[in-house]
Amino acid sequence: MTQIVSPENESDLDKGMVIFQDVRKVYDDSIVAVENLNLIINKGELVSLIGPSGCGKTTTLKIVNRLEECTSGKILIGGMDIMSLDPVRLRRGIGYVVQEIALMPHMSVAENIGIVPRLHNWPRKKIMKRVDELLEMSGLEPAKYRYRLPDQLSGGQKQRIGVLRALAAEPEVILMDEPFGALDPISREVLQNELLSIQQKLHKTIIFVTHDMDEALKISDRVVIMRSGKIEQMGSPAEIQENPATEFVRNFIGEDRLSQISPEDSVSVLVEDPWGKAYPDQSASDVLSMMEDEDMESIQVVEKRANRWAGMAYLRDVKRISRTGGSVRDAARRDRKLYLEEATMRDAAEMLADKAYPIPVIDEQGEFLGVITEAGIARLTIGRLKRRVTGGASQ
Amino acid sequence: MIQQSSLLVLFIKYVARYYPRILRLTFQHLTISAIALALTLVVCVPLGIYITRKEKLAPYVIGLANVFQTIPSLALLGFLILIFGIGNDNAICALFMYAMLPVLQNTYTGIRSVPSHLVQAAKGMGMTDFQILLKVQLPIARPVLLAGVRVATVWIIGTATLASAIGGGGLGKLIFSGLASIRYEIILAGAIPATIIALLADQCLKFLQDYYSPRNRAKRMAKKAEKLGVDLSE
Ligand SMILES: Nc1ncnc2c1ncn2[C@@H]1O[C@H](COP(=O)(O)OP(=O)(O)OP(=O)(O)O)[C@@H](O)[C@H]1O
Ligand SMILES: [Mg+2]
Repeated sequence: MTQIVSPENESDLDKGMVIFQDVRKVYDDSIVAVENLNLIINKGELVSLIGPSGCGKTTTLKIVNRLEECTSGKILIGGMDIMSLDPVRLRRGIGYVVQEIALMPHMSVAENIGIVPRLHNWPRKKIMKRVDELLEMSGLEPAKYRYRLPDQLSGGQKQRIGVLRALAAEPEVILMDEPFGALDPISREVLQNELLSIQQKLHKTIIFVTHDMDEALKISDRVVIMRSGKIEQMGSPAEIQENPATEFVRNFIGEDRLSQISPEDSVSVLVEDPWGKAYPDQSASDVLSMMEDEDMESIQVVEKRANRWAGMAYLRDVKRISRTGGSVRDAARRDRKLYLEEATMRDAAEMLADKAYPIPVIDEQGEFLGVITEAGIARLTIGRLKRRVTGGASQ
Repeated sequence: MIQQSSLLVLFIKYVARYYPRILRLTFQHLTISAIALALTLVVCVPLGIYITRKEKLAPYVIGLANVFQTIPSLALLGFLILIFGIGNDNAICALFMYAMLPVLQNTYTGIRSVPSHLVQAAKGMGMTDFQILLKVQLPIARPVLLAGVRVATVWIIGTATLASAIGGGGLGKLIFSGLASIRYEIILAGAIPATIIALLADQCLKFLQDYYSPRNRAKRMAKKAEKLGVDLSE
C-alpha cells in the first residue's frame, strides 16, 4: 500500500517533485498527527489528501512549508531536503491556500494577490500586470475587482482570490487546504472546473486537501486516503473506486458516493463505534452504574486483547448479576450478532425491526467491529435523500 | 447676568492685553503634552507588542500601568518631586505614567485580536516575523491602537494643566493664578485654550483613523488607478 522511497530516485528529480520519507509528526509529545508517511508526488501531479476530520491532512501540508516541523523523517522538494532551506525562502516558493481562506481584511484584492510577488520584490508594474492577468483568468473583471476589499466579495469570489493568491508568484508546488470548503455545490463545481482548466495549462504540483470524495475523485490524478495519520490507500480515482483496499476505504467511498443501496448490500457502511464498551472482567455493578448514568439499555462486552467480542449485555441481566457480585462476562449473551462478511442490509433491518437494541458486528475471527443502530440507518437514508435534492439542483 | 457679561468683558480685556503670554503658555503646554505623548508612544507601543509575545508578562505590565493610572494625578506629581525635583521633567514623567495604560492596553488587545489564521497565512506565504507585524498585525490592530492613543492624548493635554502645580509651565499657570486671586477671566484664559487643544488633537487623530481606514484607502487607490489607467494606455 505504501511506497518505499529509495534514494536512487532522487537523482532524476524535477523541480516540482515532492517526496515524503517516513514522515512522522507528534504534537505536544503525545498527539500523533501523522505517522509513517511515505509518498512521492510527481511534478505536475494533482494529489488529493482525503480522510475524516482530524486525520492529519492539514498537518501534512503544514510540514511541507514548515509551518510545523516534522518530528522525524524527511521531506524533499526538487531533491532538496526542506530542512536545509531557509524556511522563509521555502515558503515564498510554495503556493499556499489556507483552510480558512484568510484574505487580509485590510488589503484590497490586488494587494492580497500581490503579497508573495511583493515579498519577492517584483517591480510594481509587473505585479499589477500579474494581478490583472490572474483576475481575468478566473473571470473577474480586473477594473471592477482590483480595489475591492475582501468583505465586499461573495464567498465564492473570496475562495477564488485565495487560490489566485497562491498562484501569483508562479510557484512549482502549491498546497491547497480545502480551498472550496465552505461553498454551495454549484459554486464548488464551477471552481473545481476552473482549477482543472488552470491545471491543464500550468501543470503545477498540487497537494489538495478535501473532505469531499466526489471532489477528490473528480479533480485528482491520484487520491490518498488517510486515517488517523496514516495512509490507508492511494491510487488513481478509478483504482480506488474499483478496488477499495480496506473496509474503511469502502465505507468512505460508500458514504460519500451515491451508490444505490439495495437490501442485499453489505452492512459495512452502517457499522459505527458504540457509545460505550465494557471489558469482560469489569464488575457488573461498575458497568451497571455506567449504563445508568449514560441511560444505556445494552452494552457491548469486548476483550481488551485483540478486540475480541465477548457478547452483549442487557441492562436487566447486568442488574441481576450485579446483585450476586459477578463480572459483566456472566451477563453477556452471544446469540444476537451479525458477521460483516455475510450480513446484508435486509438482515440488519429485520433484526432491528424485531428488537431495537444496537446489533453488534463482528468478523469471522471474532473481532468486534462496531454496532448497527436504528439511528445509523436513518442517517444513511436521510443522507441519500439530501444528496438527491442537491444533486438535482446542480443540474 | 450682569456678572456674566462683565466676566465676558473682563475675559476679552485680559486676552487682548496678555495674548502674547497666553500664546506662549499654550505653546509650552503643547510642547509638554507632545513630549509626554511621544514618550508614551515610543515606550508603550513596543512594550505592548512585546507582551503579546511574552504572554506571561502581560498581566504584570498592564497591572502596573493600571496602578499608575489609578494614583490621583496630583499625588503622583507630588511624589515625583522626590525623584526629579521641581519642573517640567517631573510633569512629563508623571503624564507619561498616567497615559501608559490606554496605549499599552490597546496595543496589546489590538494585536491579540488579529485572528491567528491570518498570522499563520502570512507566515505560510513567507513573511518574516517583522513583516507580519508591520503588514498584518499592526494595520489590523490600527483602529484599536489609535483609539487608545486618542484617549491618552486627551488625558495628557487635560492633565498637563497640573504641571504648573509643581513648578512646570503651561496653561495650568493661568488657571492656578486665576484660582489663587479668584479672577475667573484668568481661569478661563487658561482653561479655554487647553480644551480647544484637546478637542483639536482628538479630531486630528479621528481624521487620521478615517483617512487610513481600509475602505477609504481602497477608494483612493481606485481613483488613482483610474487616472493612471489613462496614462498607462497611451
Ligand atoms: N497545533 C496543534 N497542537 C496540538 N495538536 C494539534 C495541533 N494541530 C493539530 N493537532 C491535532 O493533530 C491531529 C490532526 O490535525 P489536522 O489539523 O492535521 O487534521 P485535519 O485532517 O486537517 O482535520 P480537518 O479535516 O478537520 O481540517 C488532530 O488530532 C488535531 O487535534
Ligand atoms: Mg484541516
